Amino acid sequence: MSDLNDIAVVGAGPAGGNAALVAAQSGARVVMLDEQPAPGGQVWRGKTASILLAPVTPETTAGNGLRSALSESAATHLADTRVWDILRNGDHWSLQILRNGATEQITCRSLILATGAREYVQPIPGWTTPGVIGLAGATSLFKQTLSLPGKRTVVSGTGPLVFFVASEIRRLGGEVAAVITPNTRADWARATPSMIGQPKLLARGALWMADLILARVPILWGHAVSEVEGRDHVTGIKTINLKRGVAGLSFATDSLCLGNGLIAQIEAAQMLGAAIRYDPSLGGWVPVADPDGATKVDGLYLCGDGCGIRGAAAAALQGTLAGARAARDLGFSAPSPPVRPWQRAERFGRAMTALSIPHADAHALTTQDTIVCRCESLSRRDISTEITTGATSTNAVKSGKRAGMGPCGGKYCQTAIAALIAEQTDKSTSDVPPPTPRPPLRPVPLGQAAGDFDYDDLPIPKPAPL
Amino acid sequence: MIRLVPNHATRIKRSETVTFTFDSEPVQGHLGETLVAALMRAGHLNLREAPNDSAPRGAFCCMGLCQECAVIVDGQVVEACRTVVSADLVVERA
Amino acid sequence: MTTGPTYEIAIIGGGIMGCATALRVAAGGMSAIVLDQGDLGQGASGVNAGTLSLQIKRVKLMPYALKGHHCWEEMGDTVGFAKTGGYTLAFNAREAEMLHERQTLKSNAGAPIEFVSNNQLRAAEPNLTHKVEAASFCPEDGYANSSLTGQYYRGKLRDAGIPYREGCAVTAIDQGDGFTLTTPQGPIRANRILLAAGAWLKPLAALLDVDLPVNARVNTVSVTERLQPLMSSVIGHATGLLTMKQKANGTVLIGGGWQGRGTPQDGRGTVDADTVRPNLALAQYAVPALSAARVTRSWTGFEANVPDFYPLAGALPGVPDAFVLGCVRGGYTIGPYISQLMGDHILGREPEMPLFDPGRDFEKDTI
Repeated sequence: MSDLNDIAVVGAGPAGGNAALVAAQSGARVVMLDEQPAPGGQVWRGKTASILLAPVTPETTAGNGLRSALSESAATHLADTRVWDILRNGDHWSLQILRNGATEQITCRSLILATGAREYVQPIPGWTTPGVIGLAGATSLFKQTLSLPGKRTVVSGTGPLVFFVASEIRRLGGEVAAVITPNTRADWARATPSMIGQPKLLARGALWMADLILARVPILWGHAVSEVEGRDHVTGIKTINLKRGVAGLSFATDSLCLGNGLIAQIEAAQMLGAAIRYDPSLGGWVPVADPDGATKVDGLYLCGDGCGIRGAAAAALQGTLAGARAARDLGFSAPSPPVRPWQRAERFGRAMTALSIPHADAHALTTQDTIVCRCESLSRRDISTEITTGATSTNAVKSGKRAGMGPCGGKYCQTAIAALIAEQTDKSTSDVPPPTPRPPLRPVPLGQAAGDFDYDDLPIPKPAPL
Repeated sequence: MIRLVPNHATRIKRSETVTFTFDSEPVQGHLGETLVAALMRAGHLNLREAPNDSAPRGAFCCMGLCQECAVIVDGQVVEACRTVVSADLVVERA
Repeated sequence: MTTGPTYEIAIIGGGIMGCATALRVAAGGMSAIVLDQGDLGQGASGVNAGTLSLQIKRVKLMPYALKGHHCWEEMGDTVGFAKTGGYTLAFNAREAEMLHERQTLKSNAGAPIEFVSNNQLRAAEPNLTHKVEAASFCPEDGYANSSLTGQYYRGKLRDAGIPYREGCAVTAIDQGDGFTLTTPQGPIRANRILLAAGAWLKPLAALLDVDLPVNARVNTVSVTERLQPLMSSVIGHATGLLTMKQKANGTVLIGGGWQGRGTPQDGRGTVDADTVRPNLALAQYAVPALSAARVTRSWTGFEANVPDFYPLAGALPGVPDAFVLGCVRGGYTIGPYISQLMGDHILGREPEMPLFDPGRDFEKDTI
């Protein structure tokens, strides 16, 4: 097969980008596939063509570094490309990709998945109201278009992201109505030792916080948003003091950024047979992979947040490890980079993830009437009833209620549903795995999946016995 | 007031504005930005009705996953967060 | 060693056939337990396309299929039953000939199938392609929602007081004074057993040193997101390689038995893009407006069969008090009915229609 690639990399963030770079340097024929118009992933997202000039941020610098290295590299980058299915065919992988409105097939000997993260948002009353966006989602909006979700925004969620988002809103000229975080100052104090090794990030975080305090933006520690008000759009939010269980301040606002930490996008790895395990300090269910990305599945390598939330610094380092490992395994002479720097970065990443994972009491915020499955408008009550009547796995709830059969494929409800199953059946969350992943990995227009065809050429098998 | 995080709004230079339509209403957006950004700026947050309860929905994940910002362009359902603004773009509710 | 109750029958496999047989024997006064290695109704019973079409049933199974349709109709809304009628389409002369030949035989076997003109077809289904060469119609056709199988039977078993165990794979079967089943949830004792494990029948029967020549087809199904109304009846293809219907919620379910990959022993099967794509193409050819519809999920299910493609329903050869039920082509449609027959047989009653001897010579035409 003349167009057989040595290595295909899925994802062009810090992990995928660096994997592609090192693999291409080794002489391997590398193709990198990514949904975004430019490399960078979510964390170093490139700007859209609408931005002609803008001040440089650390994310811009890091992203530009990766983008320029990739543009000089021999790796082929297919942008605006969606991988919708991957299958092992003998000694190679076949990837169905959607590009320019048509399906193409890409083949490769080895596959590196760097599928990154998505975010967990604890369902609360009104979280489906237009004007509520994800906390990580907000950063995409900022990085890509330097635009704001509204004129006056409440920022709520866990971990460092909440302060980054608040700071970015101020930098882009918006108003932060309040910062609301379930974390306490004590949570942060506990995390500080692991941050010492990353003084730059620590200093940046301190600056964000100091700026918010100087600007007299209310910061509600140990609080969560308990309800979003408004029908067609957000008009305000209510809060709850988590420790005391009493109502906190309410705020008028036209937008809310809401998030409870990142979770690994494991569906592709899972689909290809990688084993998964539950590790809350990595964001929940993660595929099993070595530090250099190798897995038990022949020719499959994993790196970056897609195999556990460790942050951008660790992702970049693991990308290099995985790219080199995959190239070496194919017989190319690639370096054998040390694992230590990744391990150091990982410690910091894990500490941030620990700050970001939802508190145990977060699930109480999801009232019986709260929508849990957005695609099918299913409330917690709908899901709970299904569990009570005997559906005790995520697959069973999906079958009975369609939770996970909608367009998002369960990406925004499965974590909450698994938590409900665990709670109602007295199981540990680690005993409630996610449902069976299936293609397409993203919704695909049927005509684009089918492709152009002549009816007479359809390979219609012989009919069933009469 | 002392700001430790500077306001960069005035230092950002954007592309020309173009007009497209959302639900037959003219909307201004910057050429090349994402449809979601333009619609949000114009106050069009409510993009679709949810099934079953018909509740209003708008952009949520902003990274092409949640499908809440699904709109129709040229007869095809697309994610507004992954669609680029151009002049005379006709955007309909899904 | 724990001494739990000894059931009069243990049924291994919690799909339609296992559960429906349990309900039948329990109604006859027999104490039963249902065991499934996973969740109830998550095998073929829960992942098939839900088509209830007489037009795609085997001629000799038609009497069973007609009875099966009535069972589904009685289950009604709780299983998402809809009697919409169904059209089967031929797009060229060769397929038209096949359609005439096949549907005439099925009509003679008792299915109310008629041939319809293009005008009738277009009036009924205006979004269909105009490239139809011939079409047949059966007013009895429709569908149910296979996803609801588990939910439905869990409720039925509970109401009937029949215990069931999920995540309870049987790893050994000891005979002697009844049967003792080894499971991760402890031993289970029963006087009789029914093997109703679908595509997993072969390794299960092997625990009793019985070789059942069971193979598995890996059928693929795809579903779209919600769409505006595009079709009101079940749409099929003369070859049987397309079944399609639009559910009340607007999603379109596309099946037709295109083959994925994998075996029942190593997971839930894998969708093969090389077969999904022509399956979708065929759907789009029939209803061109589907081109813009987004597919949200494709999946596979294992459909068990034996070499003559007729059911296994009766005594397990060589093992007294052991029975087997499975490999019913059109098993979703026929399952609830053939389970009644099986239950009656186990109860020692004469079934309303003949069963299918699992000890027959599968290489010969014995049915």
